[in-house]
Amino acid sequence: MSLVEVINVTKEYANGEETIRPLDGVSLTIEQGDFASLMGASGSGKSTLLNLIAGIDLVTSGEIIVADTDITRLSRGKLADWRAANIGYIFQTHNLIPVLTAYENVELPLVLLPMTAAERRKRVQIALEAVDLTSRATHYPRQMSGGQEQRVGIARAIVANPTIVVADEPTGSLDDETTEQILELLGRVNQELGMTLLMVTHDADAGSRAKRRIRLERGRLIENGQETSVHTLRTA
Amino acid sequence: MFPFAPYVVKSLWRHRARTILTVSGTAVALLVFCFIGSVQKGLLALTEDQEAGRTLIVFQENRFCPQSSKLPQDYASTIAKLPGVTDVVPIKVFTNNCRASLDSIVFQGLPAEKLKQWRELSLQSGDWGSFEGQDDAALVGQAVAGRRNLAAGDKFTIGDVSVVVKGIFASSVAAEDNLVFTHLDFLQRTRGVNEAGTVTQLEVHLADNADPEAVAAKIDAEFHSGPVATTTRTKGMFQADTVSDLAELIGFVHWLGYACVGLVLSLVATTTVMAVQDRIKEHAVLQTLGVRPLGVFRLVIAESLLLTVIGGVLGVVGSMAFLYSTGLSVAAEGVTIAFRPSWDLAGQGILIAFVVGLIAGLAPGWQAAQSQIVAALRHG
Repeated sequence: MSLVEVINVTKEYANGEETIRPLDGVSLTIEQGDFASLMGASGSGKSTLLNLIAGIDLVTSGEIIVADTDITRLSRGKLADWRAANIGYIFQTHNLIPVLTAYENVELPLVLLPMTAAERRKRVQIALEAVDLTSRATHYPRQMSGGQEQRVGIARAIVANPTIVVADEPTGSLDDETTEQILELLGRVNQELGMTLLMVTHDADAGSRAKRRIRLERGRLIENGQETSVHTLRTA
Repeated sequence: MFPFAPYVVKSLWRHRARTILTVSGTAVALLVFCFIGSVQKGLLALTEDQEAGRTLIVFQENRFCPQSSKLPQDYASTIAKLPGVTDVVPIKVFTNNCRASLDSIVFQGLPAEKLKQWRELSLQSGDWGSFEGQDDAALVGQAVAGRRNLAAGDKFTIGDVSVVVKGIFASSVAAEDNLVFTHLDFLQRTRGVNEAGTVTQLEVHLADNADPEAVAAKIDAEFHSGPVATTTRTKGMFQADTVSDLAELIGFVHWLGYACVGLVLSLVATTTVMAVQDRIKEHAVLQTLGVRPLGVFRLVIAESLLLTVIGGVLGVVGSMAFLYSTGLSVAAEGVTIAFRPSWDLAGQGILIAFVVGLIAGLAPGWQAAQSQIVAALRHG
């Protein structure tokens, strides 16, 4: 069974009297250990799909099953618990908490999980080492460069050892050199730590770093990056 | 333990000017609340304690200021013979100010043995013997001594009355801490006048089975056609009548106490709403990381509570420290109302701060908890 199954998902919302449909009957699967890029033009629905898989938005219809849990059936509270245990989210603008140090930002997802303080310390150290920022542990976001902030954001996303790491345009606000460093780091997260990664990007170069490319256009899947569709899997 | 405590504290500190202003506003409001509460308690103690209902005060009819009431002292022996009366204490009162004032000095002249018998005084300094042995000696209540910086051995003058402090006392009745006790005959003869044989009021102590109203009526009837007619009331009623204008004012001020609570509510609610609006995106990030909507609600409530509880504790501690150290009182026509700070009042103040913090955080907390994550992440 696939790690993530998106089954005939549609997302609609009202804009005045008009109904907007950013996703229209999308189905796909993501396997354990995948590094998939989700590409498409602005308004193609790629961020919407990422947010639905991350459990921070709700589908209008369809199902999303992640590691055997149908997250479309979870209440808001349960969905939050599920995110804490299963999702590592990397934002485009890193979105670190400005009043917390790099260490405290990375520790944040762990305080939501049942874990001793010693275990938390150990995991934060490992995550900061993975992004090569142990020397900046006590620094606040305002004391770091954009690239360093994004690395803290990556450490925060991987620290709880989530089922899947999702990244929404993680290099969108970075210069070329820093973009290269961050993409390399994401590649290591996938290859060395074995984490499943789903990355939204509109940058073809960034997208080519992924093992698999998924492309959306006007809310529909036009390139899946694999031969077998989920419907085939279901009916097999 | 609340794992987000450092985040809550640091978030408040991030906007320290706003936080300090809100905390100080809360502290001032709670300080005023405690001042009002303590003067109300003082008024209540004056009019409602058990002794106030079982002791009668005989005053000259149609007189209010103690300077103008002049009863023949020998009324005491007549009253003492009435059924139900166990003792009569003649008292001469002198005050430097008959109007309502925060710094009135009220002298009460009593026979020394009656003073010892009917007042529960505990001497903090000085000694009883030297008071008894000196004509112009005075025992000074600790609140007056504190306000005027008096100690045993000092001599002081108020108006035309000069006395030597022979002791500082604490009384079981808070209002008495604001009195200066002297010998009766000293106060009758001082100020260059000879008022020997007249007193301001007579304090009548009753037997347990006596009906205060019946005895009061008998006393007034006895002197109705005498040289000076009397008005007799229970001590509580006498004090309430004497300070009635002041009591009315205090009753009105009571509403100001509630206004203070309302002020804190709106102040903290405004600050909390601003804090939530500033951090719409931050709360969405926390929810993305797995904080439940209820968790975000709790964070907002915690911030709001922290503001009011810190402000409340500062205001309550400040007011208690001030009231205990100054022994503040307000007097009118020789009757003093002592501000009565108490643990009860302090607890009430902190409880109110807590409840107000809780209420002030409800709406912004709910708003923060209900926000849609994706929309909030696009904010600002």
